Amino acid sequence: MTPQLAGQIELFLQVVIAGILLGGLYSLIGLGMSLIMGVMRIINLAHGELMMVAMYITYLAFSLVHVDPYVSLFIVLPALFLIGAGLQKYLITPVMDVESVLPQNQVLLTVGIGIVLSNLAQLIFSADYMSVPVSYASKTIYWDVNVGGQTISLSFNFPFLVAFAIAIGLGAALFLFLGKTDIGRMIRATAQDKRAAAIMGINTKRITYITFGLGAALVGAAGTLLAPVYYIYPAIGGPFTSKAFIITVLGGMGNIAGAVLGGLVLGLGESLGSVYISLGYKDAFGFVIFVLVLIFLPKGLLGKSSV
Amino acid sequence: MRKTFVAAVAALAMTAGPAGAQEKVVKIGVPLPLTGAEAKFGEMEKQAYEMAAEEINAKGGVKGHKLSFDIQDSGGKAETATAIVEKFVSINKYPFVVGEYSSQCSYSVAAVAEKYKVPYLVVTGAADKITQQGWKYVFRLNPPSSLYNMGVFSFFETVAKPKSIAILYENTDFGNSTSKAMKEYCKAKGINIVLDEGYQAGAVDFKPILQKVKSLRPDIVYMVSYLMDASLLMRQSKELDINPQAFIGGGAGHTLPEFLQNAAEASEYCMSATLWTPQVKYPGAKEFFDKFKAKFGKEPDYHGVEAYAAAYVTADTLKRAKEWTAEAIRTALAATNMMTAFGPIKFIAWDQFTNQNRMETLVLQVQKKKYETIWPKDAASAKYVYPVPRWRDRK
Amino acid sequence: MTKKAVFLVVPALLVLIFPLAFENPYILHMLILSMLWIVLGVSWNLLGGFTGQVSYGHAAFFGTGAYATAILVKSGQPPATAWWGLLVGGLAAALLATFIGWICFRLRGPYFSLSVLALSEVLRLVALNWKEVTNGAEGILFLPAFNDKGAYYYIIFAIAAITIFAVHRVMKSKLGFYFLAIREDQDAAESLGIDTTKYKLISLMISAFFTGVAGSFYMNYMGFIDPGIVFDLSKISIMMILVTMLGGAATLWGPALGAVIYILVSEGFRVYVGSGHLVFFGVLIIVIILFFPNGIVGSILEAKGRRDRRTDNKDPKQVAA
Repeated sequence: MTPQLAGQIELFLQVVIAGILLGGLYSLIGLGMSLIMGVMRIINLAHGELMMVAMYITYLAFSLVHVDPYVSLFIVLPALFLIGAGLQKYLITPVMDVESVLPQNQVLLTVGIGIVLSNLAQLIFSADYMSVPVSYASKTIYWDVNVGGQTISLSFNFPFLVAFAIAIGLGAALFLFLGKTDIGRMIRATAQDKRAAAIMGINTKRITYITFGLGAALVGAAGTLLAPVYYIYPAIGGPFTSKAFIITVLGGMGNIAGAVLGGLVLGLGESLGSVYISLGYKDAFGFVIFVLVLIFLPKGLLGKSSV
Repeated sequence: MRKTFVAAVAALAMTAGPAGAQEKVVKIGVPLPLTGAEAKFGEMEKQAYEMAAEEINAKGGVKGHKLSFDIQDSGGKAETATAIVEKFVSINKYPFVVGEYSSQCSYSVAAVAEKYKVPYLVVTGAADKITQQGWKYVFRLNPPSSLYNMGVFSFFETVAKPKSIAILYENTDFGNSTSKAMKEYCKAKGINIVLDEGYQAGAVDFKPILQKVKSLRPDIVYMVSYLMDASLLMRQSKELDINPQAFIGGGAGHTLPEFLQNAAEASEYCMSATLWTPQVKYPGAKEFFDKFKAKFGKEPDYHGVEAYAAAYVTADTLKRAKEWTAEAIRTALAATNMMTAFGPIKFIAWDQFTNQNRMETLVLQVQKKKYETIWPKDAASAKYVYPVPRWRDRK
Repeated sequence: MTKKAVFLVVPALLVLIFPLAFENPYILHMLILSMLWIVLGVSWNLLGGFTGQVSYGHAAFFGTGAYATAILVKSGQPPATAWWGLLVGGLAAALLATFIGWICFRLRGPYFSLSVLALSEVLRLVALNWKEVTNGAEGILFLPAFNDKGAYYYIIFAIAAITIFAVHRVMKSKLGFYFLAIREDQDAAESLGIDTTKYKLISLMISAFFTGVAGSFYMNYMGFIDPGIVFDLSKISIMMILVTMLGGAATLWGPALGAVIYILVSEGFRVYVGSGHLVFFGVLIIVIILFFPNGIVGSILEAKGRRDRRTDNKDPKQVAA
């Protein structure tokens, strides 16, 4: 094998690795959105802002009491669950109860919530970029492989690797939760047919609180895992909200395995596209895949649209 | 944290209450992005304007008047910036407008100012076109973006003499025009451009494209980035063990204090074009840096000093103006010839530019976690390290 | 009829003579922006409110209208192009609508909403990267044709009036009936023999046309566009929904009221509240939606409809249209 070919193989493998690891984080962002969309049929435009809130909690825990970001997951998950459930209970549910021309007024409500959250964050923390400078932020694991007499050196970023593992773990836990527990089954029933679920004696309102809480907690986890490798500022949410849409629809609304797959597809599409086609159009790949999937596989990559 | 919150509440209370105006005040309108994605820089500039105004007023103000900047939030939106200036001109009747941050908004404000014949001093908007319209009332304190690289070019010619270069830039007005100047230079000098890609600001992962850079083995990796992209690019370059002769930034992100914190050891030996460093030999530069840091608990970058200098140019112009009308202020502004903490300010015309300040741009390098000026030689605070050591050879 | 005419004509006359009485550019600027947003809200409402097809990507049409005119003007046409450039902008957007409709009307509900969003983002990236035509992120400069704000004021007033009148006529016609039928129950409409794809496409094209005209006007008025300004998701697409829903979706005057709230109230907060003004605006949105879930006009009409039904059994649907 020539060194040039080995170089090309190394490039390709490294790009695939980067795409998959990034995809793990994307999956986590998408899981929360998918759950909320699957059960409530609403588009949560404050999704990225909830992630921002989680990032600031992680930041505070780290800078004030030196809590490692991975440990602060134990603070962030319950905190975001409560915030999410509270938003659902006191703001979104009252609006959902009203018969309206378009259900989109709930969406607008989430726009309002997003504006308030990001601007409150700016008042409290200022607009400065903050980061969580952990010692292992650029820690990298190298792996040299010998292929046909040439050494191919692959690198794995430690925080991305951890984020990937936790994302897959949380996805699996959610899958089990929805499949094996009573509350999980009630969530699925509500997603399939809200009225029927109510007739069966399920307190569907409570289920919506729990669902929104879970969705917020999941995107919160993504925020915490992103904190060591990224940065935090009040207006960070927007781009992540639109990524979450793409992932959700790629995977099918409310489809857990689909959301994980959707995140991976988006991560891979972005990284391969940026190297082999054009960096400028990197973000377009996600959208193009998205539209193609919508047209040809309207129920998402895995075909089913219920939880 | 708590302090900023209290300050925010206090600011709220202050804007609501009537200002007790016993003394004579001269007010100058300043639009700035205080919300939205650009708010960080807007905030820093606001603090710099206010700090300068305090100093000026402590020394007796301007012709017996207290100088006050009416700073309004444009949210980084062109139509809001326009609205603010329309209000400054038609309702507040301010004879002079200063500020804004982005090229987009600065350009829109400039068009309005020119229309109403009110002098406008651009402070940070860098796109060349703003002072290439032949406008009479628009002046610019900062150099246009095509000149940001002048220091780097002279460094290339005297020291580096690179043969190949990879160019990565943020796909914004600033990124485009700065990297365009670099590309034209490389083409003229026969430097091989092995990669030329624009990216969307705010990407999470640059590893794929950096991997491609690595496989192309350029002498120089040149990047035009905002704050965090700059840190991510350097951190991930270190991870991927990319070893060019030097990493050079095109200003902005690679020159900010936060870059040192966020990129940490990955920032070491990174160079960048810059307009200003605290070590420049202009009077008041270091004093400004130290005072700002003590007062606000964070280090200012060149945006801060640009705003600070703009405040002094404003005071100087008002002092020299025969009367405080737009026309007299314009005449005085055009005759400006002064030294500031940012450097000498004088508005001249050359090539297609009019009313444009021209100044030397510098090259800095991170050495031992500090920014040192390395080029031009007579301004240097430390000797350059070139080529930079390979990542794995560092301790 | 006469009473209604008085209600329309008197305010219209007031708006018309306003610039003559107050020649204040700041106030005119705010009114011009308000009317621009009236056009955007009213045209989004035709598709989203009346036809029930909620688009998350109307910035695609706004940006296309703006760029079509800008490229036309920059290609060396005389400056008067700005006038008929408005039409070109609208037509370009309507043309784009046929393409977007062809793709996105295969989908329903949230899937439709998000697919439009995706295409609009793709267009933004194309405008950003296709530098030969669009000049990329550096944007396109165009020195405004008129120095006088009054001219723009009357142009946008005319556009707003035409848009409102057009939507009013459409909703009074058979088309409007089809649109409402599609919104209420697409399958039922289909089974009644209504070609739903065709009528959804017509609704989209009309909506896109006026949005494109507005984009073209914006370019003429502001004199500078770049992809980040005119194709923006949160500042254009989402705000069009906001304007409509605040005032009342599927009402004729709701989006107009929403536009005025969006521009004037948020400017008021900006000027008088200072830092944190957007928190106040966000809270205002939440409060309006909580207390007027159908928007201000929508909820008032609904309450009135309920009262009327109790007294003389009027059909509430008619009130809404």
